[in-house]
Amino acid sequence: MDSDEEDYVFFGTPIEREEEITNRRKKAAAEASGNLRALPPWKQEVRDEEGRRRFHGAFTGGFSAGYFNTVGTKEGWAPQSFTSSRKNRAEVKQQSIFNFLDEDEKAELEGTLGTSSQFDTFGFTAAEHARKQADKEQKQRPSAIPGPIPDELVLPASESIGVKLLLKMGWRHGRAINDSRASSLYDARREARKALLAFASEDAKAPCPADEPVEEPESFTVQPSDDDARSSQSLPKVVYLITLIGDEENLFHDVESTIMRYEGPYDAAEISDLVQQLPMAKTEVMEDVVNAKEARFRRGIRYKRFLDLHGLGYDPFKHAPEFREKKRLHLLNDKQRGDRKTMSIKDSLFGSKSGKAAPGFGIGALEEYDAEDEDIYAAGYDFEETCIEDDEEPSRLGIESKQPSRLSIESKQKVVARDQGVLPGFKVASVSDYQLERFDPPVIPKDFAPHHKFPGPLETLKKLDVPSPPEVPPPDDSNLKLLIEGVAKLVARCGKLFEDLSRKKNQSNPLFSFLSGGNGHDYYERRLWEEHQKFGVQAKLLLDGKLSPSMQKMTAESRGKLLGEKPLERSSRETTSSSVASGEFQLQFNLSDTFKKPDSFSKLPDVAKPFKDDPAKQERFEQFLKEKYEGGLRSTGYTVASNMSEAARAREKLDFEAAAEAIEKGKRGKESMVSTQPLDFLASGMQFTSGGLEQVENGHAEDLVTKKMYPRREEFQWRPAPVLCKRFDLIDPFMGKPPPAPRARSKIDSLLFIPDSVKVAKPEEVAITNRDVPAAQTGAQMTIEDVAEEEIEIVAENVERPVDLYKAIFSDDSDDDVEDLNTKKVEDPEKKTEVATTALNRLIADDFLESLGKELGFEVPPDTPYSTNKANALRIETPNSDSGNAKFSTGTYLNPGNETAQDGDSQKNKSIPVRSGGYNSSKHTVGLLNMSGKVNEDKFAQEDKKVKSPSSRQRNWSSSSSSDDERSRKHSKRHRHRSSGSYSDPSSDDREHYRSRSKGKRERSSREKSSHSRKHSKHHKHRSRDSPSRSHRGSEREHSEARKEKRKRRD
Amino acid sequence: MLKTKVAPSLAGLARPDKNKSNMSSSELPRKEANVLKGHEGAVLAARFNSDGNYCLSCGKDRTIRLWNPHRGIHIKNYKSHGREVRDVHVTPDNSKLCSCGGDRQIFYWDVSTGRVIRKFRGHDGEVNAVKFNEYASVVVSAGYDRSLRAWDCRSHSTEPIQIIDSFLDTVMSVCLTKTEIIGGSVDGTVRTFDIRIGREISDDLGQPVNCISMSNDGNCILASCLDSSIRLLDRSTGELLQEYKGHACKSYKMDCCLTNSDAHVIGGSEDGSIFFWDLVDASVVSKFRAHSSVVTSVSYHPKDNCMITSSVDGSVRVWKT
Repeated sequence: MDSDEEDYVFFGTPIEREEEITNRRKKAAAEASGNLRALPPWKQEVRDEEGRRRFHGAFTGGFSAGYFNTVGTKEGWAPQSFTSSRKNRAEVKQQSIFNFLDEDEKAELEGTLGTSSQFDTFGFTAAEHARKQADKEQKQRPSAIPGPIPDELVLPASESIGVKLLLKMGWRHGRAINDSRASSLYDARREARKALLAFASEDAKAPCPADEPVEEPESFTVQPSDDDARSSQSLPKVVYLITLIGDEENLFHDVESTIMRYEGPYDAAEISDLVQQLPMAKTEVMEDVVNAKEARFRRGIRYKRFLDLHGLGYDPFKHAPEFREKKRLHLLNDKQRGDRKTMSIKDSLFGSKSGKAAPGFGIGALEEYDAEDEDIYAAGYDFEETCIEDDEEPSRLGIESKQPSRLSIESKQKVVARDQGVLPGFKVASVSDYQLERFDPPVIPKDFAPHHKFPGPLETLKKLDVPSPPEVPPPDDSNLKLLIEGVAKLVARCGKLFEDLSRKKNQSNPLFSFLSGGNGHDYYERRLWEEHQKFGVQAKLLLDGKLSPSMQKMTAESRGKLLGEKPLERSSRETTSSSVASGEFQLQFNLSDTFKKPDSFSKLPDVAKPFKDDPAKQERFEQFLKEKYEGGLRSTGYTVASNMSEAARAREKLDFEAAAEAIEKGKRGKESMVSTQPLDFLASGMQFTSGGLEQVENGHAEDLVTKKMYPRREEFQWRPAPVLCKRFDLIDPFMGKPPPAPRARSKIDSLLFIPDSVKVAKPEEVAITNRDVPAAQTGAQMTIEDVAEEEIEIVAENVERPVDLYKAIFSDDSDDDVEDLNTKKVEDPEKKTEVATTALNRLIADDFLESLGKELGFEVPPDTPYSTNKANALRIETPNSDSGNAKFSTGTYLNPGNETAQDGDSQKNKSIPVRSGGYNSSKHTVGLLNMSGKVNEDKFAQEDKKVKSPSSRQRNWSSSSSSDDERSRKHSKRHRHRSSGSYSDPSSDDREHYRSRSKGKRERSSREKSSHSRKHSKHHKHRSRDSPSRSHRGSEREHSEARKEKRKRRD
Repeated sequence: MLKTKVAPSLAGLARPDKNKSNMSSSELPRKEANVLKGHEGAVLAARFNSDGNYCLSCGKDRTIRLWNPHRGIHIKNYKSHGREVRDVHVTPDNSKLCSCGGDRQIFYWDVSTGRVIRKFRGHDGEVNAVKFNEYASVVVSAGYDRSLRAWDCRSHSTEPIQIIDSFLDTVMSVCLTKTEIIGGSVDGTVRTFDIRIGREISDDLGQPVNCISMSNDGNCILASCLDSSIRLLDRSTGELLQEYKGHACKSYKMDCCLTNSDAHVIGGSEDGSIFFWDLVDASVVSKFRAHSSVVTSVSYHPKDNCMITSSVDGSVRVWKT
């Protein structure tokens, strides 16, 4: 019971073998004894006492969580010593820069960060130093410097509020501000509170005149207030400082007046807050504040925050010193109109302008080096630009007349630029290299019509009007003639390009000299023209179809029709979903079947009735014609004449060929006429109904067609739930398979894979015509009935496609013709040439189109059916049939998922009729089979029955398993009908029933029998294999065996 | 032409003892044996149990009734449905019932106690038909919500174990075989869901399918369409074997069935008559007026020549030869 093993489900972990355990133990023991102790820690493997490595998880330490599976560390495990917080509780640690710096940054900053006397802006030292420096420089530069002013010159006009606060808090000049000073928060707070109180009281005590313009003409550094009281008093006020710049200070000569205003690190709101905190704050102060605000706003002065958002000690120009000057200039220009004080504070405080700032702080991601962009965070305030606009301009404009200085010009430019929408900070270049290039729009030719004309049809249409070249006798060399005709056909189909190509390619080839005016050129011309006529007719039709009111729109079908495609069936009638599975096969089928001769061919002129005297024959002839110009299968047609001998049939076929040829010739002669009267052509019975391809022969047929559309069978994949399978005591067919793709319900799907509906129409007609055939022709009533029955069968199953094998064999018209002609030795030179032409066409098409087309990506209408290859393949397959058949009755049909098995199935199935029928491959038409079936009726009856049951059974099951199977099913089905119609069941006792009925019953009964036998076999298997849930499917078993093997291999 | 169509005699070989051709119309159950009265309002379905000794009926009065049709006795009443009961089915062992109706629920009853064991909710519309599977482990219901749902009777879950929603319109009827679920829908399709192969086969009849019933040999499906015709389909090929016409069936959910010998097709008509067609040649073998109003349901005895019909007139009638 090997096969059962794979069905065991193992729970839990299997018991390990002893040797494994002992091995591990040994290893563990060796480790414990110290063998591995010498290894460095990273090489040691951590194992438990059993010697197993424990895996803690990929993200939680791998094989060694913690420190080699311990809680220790490299340094060892040391508990933190306890420190009581009773004494020093709630100690708030002061944060400093160093808390936020990395080690390397700290090291970098070690010596550099800190206050040096040079940058002690708060101290007098700095101021004095700056002053000295300025003096020195002043001496060095006796003349006016309109350019950049050294930062050092701009000194604090007064002490900032920060300095004042610091002073209040007890800070003294010359002292450093650092951590050691502010030891605890409490201290700091207390001091701050005290300072504020003092500040407020002082403020109240010093009622100095509010607006006191301070003039200090001697000095260009303006300090409006010296002491704390004064400055604090004047703090909220706007101080006007008219700086009269002397001769030696003429570096400011362009600045007539500067508005000094307070712009400290605090804005008015903060100060007012500060003031409000003080209980004794006087209303005056408040008023002052308010006044100051008003005044500021009146003049458009805005508070200015830190413009410089760089971190403390950061020098944005560290690596780009060339911008420093620029910025300084810019700032200066502002600050000259603004206040000295701020700038001096800022500059001296943070050293950014001095260029000697200590590095260390980073720059924000949004910050840039440009001074223009510094202020990105102060969105609420509109700083410099508005300043320029509001305060600067009046003064500037006032100045301008007197002193047309550089700055005023610049400001003017700014204004202009602003007007033009230049980005702030940019100015319009005076000389611009960039010139927007403009091109005039192309001049539209006067005769241009805004419609696209497709070259193809137009070309052919034009060609139609070309007067026909004179009828030229074909060249004597039949080979050349064939070649010419083939090329002409191709050229007509593919266009002029093909001609050029082939001419180019075959320049050296004397055979192709006709292309370039050599031998046979006239004939070529003529042929080409003829071919063009053919295509032109279609093109005409296309146009007419467009014009005709009956056809509102050119659908894909009508287009395909014009191109000679077989329409995809049922596309217009139904858009219900069709399965992917069956579609797969249908696509294949449609592709091969898609191209047939255009309608213009299949239309038989009414006059052309060569067999008028014999209506039955005429009917058959028409059928023959229809099939001749129809791609694909022709089996149905031959079912018509069932009672003729084979020789008679062959003779008749030849007659038909000849007649068809004659008609064709006649038609060609008429084509020129047709081209001039396209409407006539239309009127002659072509119907461009969207659904119907076939001409409706009579209304009755149409009725039947619509009726016969149903029932229509489609197949889809459907996935039953596993539980459902379990409850039905079935094995889940999708067990272990990924969920299927959702069923395609798109329109494309239904367009592509539509089941047959035109086929529906055809056999129907056949049936009708057949029934109308008088009995005299066929001889016996019984046979007629037989035939009729047969046809009805076909009708009934018309949902399905005809068999592939037949199609494969007969789809290739020309091949067939050649064969027939050769075998029958009937000489018909015209016909022969025609046949040869088509053959050559294909040949040439293969050659040229494959070689040229591939090279040049040249598109060729798919004309050659692929089925020739297919036919060969199938023929090769047939020898295998017997072995295949033997197998499939045992149940190979059950393997819906396994594709290889399917292939095998289909292959086998294809061979069924060949074998079971007993008539071999020489003649495959149903009619022939039917005849021989009649002849051999008795002989085959029993055998048929035997063979049939597996085949029908096969059909039953395989019907849903794959698309290939479906095809094969039809195949077998066709066969079944024929055979069931032909044998007489000796066991049947209902002879008194009329024939059709008994036949039906018999068929049914035989089917039933087959199903019974199936059941029996099933039961048998059930019994043999104990478990009912066990599969009775051979394939399943195979499957499992394969699985088992796999497993073994894995082991 | 259609008359000459090959239509199989289904039971010819299966039952050699019974010669179908000799089964005359005289053997058809045309005599009224009993009238089962009790339903207040229309009776929507009447069903034999599996051995034919009892029958169940359900109707607009929201009850299910168990009868002994041969003796004409009303045995039990099952009340729990909130709206009309449209279909009922009983397990082969007669122990459980399932029923469905306008209240969108499927009730799973215990026959003897008359209690509802389980209610399956999930259909988004009225439930038209309900069937047990062979093992009575699954109830499959067909609903107005265009779906077939399979409910598990063995587990306690009330969720459907399978929802088949490939129908395009109301599913009117459902049939189960050992391996397949077959549903007939107003979208004109009879869809066969083969669990074993995992394949859905859709047979489009082009006309709304009112009711489907299986032939006793399982090879054919009888589909009553709303164009007043009953169609016989070959299940394996999907071909239309025969059409039975003459009755009126345009707007009611009406049953059709085959006789137990598969020799005749029985269908009700909207005028209250019962039609018997010959299976093979589709000729009306017999026709009689059974009810005063629409015949909603016909059910044929599994073994005997006995038939029950139900009607909108509120009666269930038992017919025998």
